[in-house]
Amino acid sequence: MRLADQGSFGPTEALVASIKAQGPTAWVTAQMALKTSSYTSGQGGAVHQYTGSGEFCADKGANCWRDWSSTQPLVWDFYRNAVTQPDQLRQRVAFALQQIVVVNNLEVDGTYGFRNYYNNLLDNAFGNYRQVLKKVALSPVMGDFLNNANNDKAAPNENFARELLQLFSLGTCELNADGTLKGGACSATYSNDVVRSYAYALTGWTYPAGGATPYGCWPAGMNCRYYGGDMIPVASFHDTAARTLLAGVTVAAGTTAPAALEKVLDSLMAHPNIAPFVSKQLIQHLVGSNPTPAYVARVASAFTTGKYGSFGSNQKGDLAATVAAVLLDAEARGDSVTRSAGKLREPAQTFAGVLRALNGKTDGDALAWWWGESLRQHVFRPPSVFNYYPPDYPVPGTALVGPTFGIHSANAALERLNYLTYLLDWGGSTPDANVPNALGTSVDLSAFLSDAADATKLVDRLSLLALGQALPSGPRTEVINAVSWWTSARDSANWQVNRVKTAAYLVFASPNYQVLR
Amino acid sequence: MNTTNNFLVSNRRRWLQRSGSTLAAALGLGSVGNLMLMPRSARAADYKALVCVFLYGGNDGLNTIVPTDTARYNQYAGVRGGLAIPKASLVPLAGVNYGLHPSLAALAPVWADGKLAPVFNVGPLHQPLTKAQYRAAAANSASVPDSLFSHSDQQILWETGTADSLTRTGWGGRAAEALATVNPVISVAGTARFGLSSLQTPLVLPGPGATFGAHGLQPADLTWAPNALRKAAIDALYAQAQDVTLGDAYTQAQRNAFTMSERLGALVKVTPGGAGASAVIDAAFAPITVAGKITTPLGNQLYQIAKLVANNATVQGNKQLFFASMGGFDTHANQIVTGSPLEGEHARLLKGLGDALGAFYTALKNLGLGDAVTTFTQSDFGRTFATNNSTGTDHAWGNQHLVLGGAVKGGLGYGSYPELALGGVDDVGQDSWELQGRWIPTTAVDQYAATLLGWFGASEPQLDAVLPNLVNFGTARKLAFL
Repeated sequence: MRLADQGSFGPTEALVASIKAQGPTAWVTAQMALKTSSYTSGQGGAVHQYTGSGEFCADKGANCWRDWSSTQPLVWDFYRNAVTQPDQLRQRVAFALQQIVVVNNLEVDGTYGFRNYYNNLLDNAFGNYRQVLKKVALSPVMGDFLNNANNDKAAPNENFARELLQLFSLGTCELNADGTLKGGACSATYSNDVVRSYAYALTGWTYPAGGATPYGCWPAGMNCRYYGGDMIPVASFHDTAARTLLAGVTVAAGTTAPAALEKVLDSLMAHPNIAPFVSKQLIQHLVGSNPTPAYVARVASAFTTGKYGSFGSNQKGDLAATVAAVLLDAEARGDSVTRSAGKLREPAQTFAGVLRALNGKTDGDALAWWWGESLRQHVFRPPSVFNYYPPDYPVPGTALVGPTFGIHSANAALERLNYLTYLLDWGGSTPDANVPNALGTSVDLSAFLSDAADATKLVDRLSLLALGQALPSGPRTEVINAVSWWTSARDSANWQVNRVKTAAYLVFASPNYQVLR
Repeated sequence: MNTTNNFLVSNRRRWLQRSGSTLAAALGLGSVGNLMLMPRSARAADYKALVCVFLYGGNDGLNTIVPTDTARYNQYAGVRGGLAIPKASLVPLAGVNYGLHPSLAALAPVWADGKLAPVFNVGPLHQPLTKAQYRAAAANSASVPDSLFSHSDQQILWETGTADSLTRTGWGGRAAEALATVNPVISVAGTARFGLSSLQTPLVLPGPGATFGAHGLQPADLTWAPNALRKAAIDALYAQAQDVTLGDAYTQAQRNAFTMSERLGALVKVTPGGAGASAVIDAAFAPITVAGKITTPLGNQLYQIAKLVANNATVQGNKQLFFASMGGFDTHANQIVTGSPLEGEHARLLKGLGDALGAFYTALKNLGLGDAVTTFTQSDFGRTFATNNSTGTDHAWGNQHLVLGGAVKGGLGYGSYPELALGGVDDVGQDSWELQGRWIPTTAVDQYAATLLGWFGASEPQLDAVLPNLVNFGTARKLAFL
């Protein structure tokens, strides 16, 4: 049950049965072998190849921006896959990675480029973190987003170099192998001159060939903006001075841009921070906000050795080993939880989770500009490279952190309930003719009608599905009371479905569901 | 956001049509219409509000307010090159040798009123710090703030008023606690660290027109038995002690949300020209209102705050702290359009900022509440004096900020403007390849905050409690802008 919440977008009655039958290790093994999800929707690269007069969108209809420039087509793919595709663990890991190596559609446009970027994360979800970083560093979407595309040795832009160090690999404070701060306080991982050394080492890259504009491209010698493929080196823009990087790695004078990138990756992978830094964040995304240091250390060890049981390749940075260590650790699998366990369910997990549990369907269209904005997790549009929330957001009144609490508030609290009202009482959204292969967003309660006559049985069945156990006895009684109000005498046509709606609303609104254990 | 609201409205309407008139009556539609703005006399005589506007990404203060005397303008233009704002385009500020970026023209009347004050070279400090001390400081010395030049860390230092990036609580939150305000910090821009205290999160409200409430569970909905029973079950669920600490934090937030939505739901919902709207506020915001909708994100936030200030008796408490924000100031690239420094990202951002601040100032002034409200900016950091190859600027440290309001002793600049020399006395850089013009602040966030909180009503011991490093600045605890 817990594994279904940690390794998928939420339990269904079938998934729970399957995990129980296989056991956790076999289920994780089988999940890693699956690859059924990918991003396919949206238009191609012509948006960056247009040399005609007038606007590119002039003759392409009202949905031009959505289909060519925005990430909305990928939202459709994301939620369809989350709700129905079987490779759930791959999707969850890719979703975690996309919240670590963040790009967004606020500052960069081009549906096809984002499609490449996020397909890379799906492809590498159980690959190696070095390869994740390499593809990120070479991505023209990232290059555009953090200004490393066309970065010139003459006055290097520090943006990508700084966030590569701070957010994608090492963090600003030196860490012990268990993720705690070295010396108990923040001891700087690097100084500003180190950031500048990385910025110099990473100069000399431009977009892949293929882009064009009616007015030419700037600066001279560089390619036009284009996201079809990896960035390519341009020697004349690459700094070739000797540079000292971290972890004892140096870039010798005269090193080419591709060779300097390998040195950059060498230094990051060799740094003692990377294993606990990446491991802790994967735990926070998949399992709980406040892992014990010992748990982080065990996962970091799997990251470092590249091996966990039967998982992994013995290469440092192996994500199959790391993810297996996250999910199969005693702290994730144990039946009794400690006071510091748990995580506030991310909004995207809630959106998909309720739909999955209640046999629903979605094309995702309503879960972005509407519900994604309301709950401040509009997939593919985090406000900045700092994601939707920081990994160390403090939860007042406690000594704990809760990343998802960084987007939780009085308003979000009520909107979480309103999402349930939308699905259960408003009937969700009907298919929109403007969305390709539209499904709308709706649940199917028919499977639960058979238990509606017995309010207690109905509430317990939904609780078992959503929570893995019954509700605590006090609230359970109140929930059963609310469900039992509906009788054939009061509404002969709808009393059963209204019972299911009421029971589902209350079970999914419960703190036991909203806060994962 | 408009899309969101339209969706909500249309879906709610569809639901109501389907569910029949009984349910509609039970939901108590039309409660907004019952709301009237409180008369001004209802406010406490000593009412005061502080409004923080955080400019996320690191606003380029060097292009926000520019020295106009020949010597310094030439230094500025010499280094900024194509990014320099032409002198003739600056909004002149009578009485001082500075001008504002032309996108801030909406603030000219505030300067003319003497109610706008720039504060120069402010930033996180642990203690007064010279360049020699900075260069000589050992790695990780406590005398140098943590993780300089990093967005997330420097946001935390500004919002917490400390030099320690692990600080959990914000200076707004701690001030609310120290002064025992009725409400926590009220944010119209998310759960920023500024409003966190040891026990409370900021009260986050949605924008004008939004529903701040749970559909079917609002007070007017509960006359219908199925709604009342649902609410009873919800209350029982959220009253139940949880087995994990984060579960208890969650239930506390849910309970609090219901309380606050009952008090403020109707007020939040008021839109320009709509039921319950204030003609005075609407008139002030008219320049950024089209067809009943405010056109900018910050404008929406400040409109919401203007309503809350006007209705401060409903909001409760005679001391209220507000938090608003704007994003997008991380202008590493395309800060200006090449060859056209009055166009580009920064001009667009400052236009949004200036127009919203101007409307907000006018609204409060015309409500007779101008003296009671002080608005101030914060931002991650200033930006490098030197430019990079992408017509942009990188992360720096000390920065220029703006304070405005009826109580502000405006018409003057405060603090000391940095020496505009790469590698000079204020630049952290020493070696030729790192001379970017990242200014060591000469005024600490602590001093800036102490000035604001002193006006707000904090005693000296309270200031020391809220701002633990203030003591390091000796007798220079406050500036004179309030």
